[in-house]
Amino acid sequence: MSPGMQGAMVLLLTLVMLLSGAPVAFGLGAISIVFIVIFQGFDALHVVAETFYSGLNDFTLVSIPMFVMMGAAIGSSPAGKDLYEALDRWLYRLPGGLAISNLGACAIFAALTGSSPACCAAIGKMGIPEMRRRGYPDDVATGSICAGGTLGILIPPSITFILYGIATETSIGRLFLAGVLPGLMLTSLFIIWTLFIIWKRGFRSHALDFRYTWKQKFQSIPKIAPFIAIIAGVMYVLYGGIATPSEAAGVGAALCVVMAVVIYRMWRPKEWWAILRDTTRESVMILMIIAAAVLFGYMLTSLYLTQTLALAIADMHVNRWVLMGMINVFLLICGFFIPPAAVILMTAPILYPIIKAAGFDPVWFGVILTINMEIGLIHPPVGLNIYIVSSIAPDVPVTRIMWGTIPYVLCMMLAIVILCIFPEIATWLPDHMMGGVH
Amino acid sequence: MDLFVRSVKSVSQLFGFIAAGLIALSVLVVCHMVFVRYVLNQNTIWQTDFVTYSLVAATFLGSSFVLTTRGHVAVDILPLYSGPRQRWWLALFAALVTLFFCAAMTVLTFLFWRESWDNRWVSDTMWRARLWIPYAAMPVGLGLLTLQCLADLVSLVSGREPPFGIVKEHR
Repeated sequence: MSPGMQGAMVLLLTLVMLLSGAPVAFGLGAISIVFIVIFQGFDALHVVAETFYSGLNDFTLVSIPMFVMMGAAIGSSPAGKDLYEALDRWLYRLPGGLAISNLGACAIFAALTGSSPACCAAIGKMGIPEMRRRGYPDDVATGSICAGGTLGILIPPSITFILYGIATETSIGRLFLAGVLPGLMLTSLFIIWTLFIIWKRGFRSHALDFRYTWKQKFQSIPKIAPFIAIIAGVMYVLYGGIATPSEAAGVGAALCVVMAVVIYRMWRPKEWWAILRDTTRESVMILMIIAAAVLFGYMLTSLYLTQTLALAIADMHVNRWVLMGMINVFLLICGFFIPPAAVILMTAPILYPIIKAAGFDPVWFGVILTINMEIGLIHPPVGLNIYIVSSIAPDVPVTRIMWGTIPYVLCMMLAIVILCIFPEIATWLPDHMMGGVH
Repeated sequence: MDLFVRSVKSVSQLFGFIAAGLIALSVLVVCHMVFVRYVLNQNTIWQTDFVTYSLVAATFLGSSFVLTTRGHVAVDILPLYSGPRQRWWLALFAALVTLFFCAAMTVLTFLFWRESWDNRWVSDTMWRARLWIPYAAMPVGLGLLTLQCLADLVSLVSGREPPFGIVKEHR
């Protein structure tokens, strides 16, 4: 059977398996075993266990549970509420200040937790009712929080970048830095759109009949500052070349748990278990997909499917930007149905040689890929953030939330276009801080 | 059957605690490693291996616990939007796929573990760790995962659990 035919069979069966609702890790693993047996016989099975184990036997992967725990410690504490209050008390008199403080809080909380759903839930619980109370339209209030939540996977530290870095052997430190300016740009685009739409609908600066005192303005900052300092410290250690990502994240996780206990008095076993349970759930889920994706990648490579696909695309001689457009559409469709971690682990090893051959910077592509994955988080049919926001504001119809997210999807597409025209927005910071050669 | 389903779930939960403990322990060992390496300026021998092995073990041992909490992500778009009958068949297919993978991997990883035991494999790092110890997490964790899959299948077929845990219609 030709590699093309084999590839079509693998693609079809993978789609059937994933769409059936079987867990991604087990579905991918099952397909890998079946195709290894069909095309290489039972003898080839002796490498399966070793390949599966080797997928996880890597010290770099240690950073995943560590970063997850950092986010879980902050996410389980009322830090999101304090962050939101702090920003609101400083920005409440600006026109649209509440929208700015919401999206700003999302961006900072994104940096603290690296988790899109956690960000959406923590800031949304405070932000959405407050925006609606002050007269913001429902679709803007819910849509902006959905969009703000997605910043969690772009602004470092981001699990998505770690996974991309591991899957393509790209520097994780460089990827983190590459996410900073696009993250700020995307936050700005979200804010600009929000201010524009509320201005266009005739919403003006709300005449609040109260003012926060200076004491109130400074009240929440001491609670938030230690967490921001820890994240800043982790980043400094990472980029100063002082420690590896796993070491920096490990110490950061321990410090975040200690801070949550000290500042928010989270010393009850139930609260500790909540942090550990969330960490275990998310880490095991991601690591299982990594092991299965390594097995899947092994199957694709040993059947020469990856190489055949890369050659076929190279033989098409299409313009590299047409190719980039096609890859983005492909990723967009994948992101509509499949969670970001699974999409990245499944597609990055296949796309990486194609991207390199077409002369694109893999770090820059990592940022494009991540923004693309962000779209899937707020776009139907799956759109995880939409359902989280829907549970926070159950009286707003889901369709209204979905319509509210569409302009932000367009903002993200605009960000991808801007990054294609000005790749330096992503590459300047890592090149400047870590040198140009990689 | 109830006893089987409940017992497997309890063991899965116990292993969930063990996995969480291993992750917590790894965080402490990483902190210890950083202290030894950067504060005392000494070489570290066992820490890197220990943390890596612990997290791999946590992944396998905690996998059945994560399955009981429906924590393994799946593409649930078809199950969400299909009718109850189709959803049941989808759930049966998904459960059988999961069971097939876990059972096959339990056998394969057990054979791999036995090879490491028979040949007294050790790691090629300074620690020279006996590899049958970390490798044992694979057949144990995946074996428990197989039992958990079987319990889930029993729950689905006997009507104890709704397919994919979806109770109300999604629209």
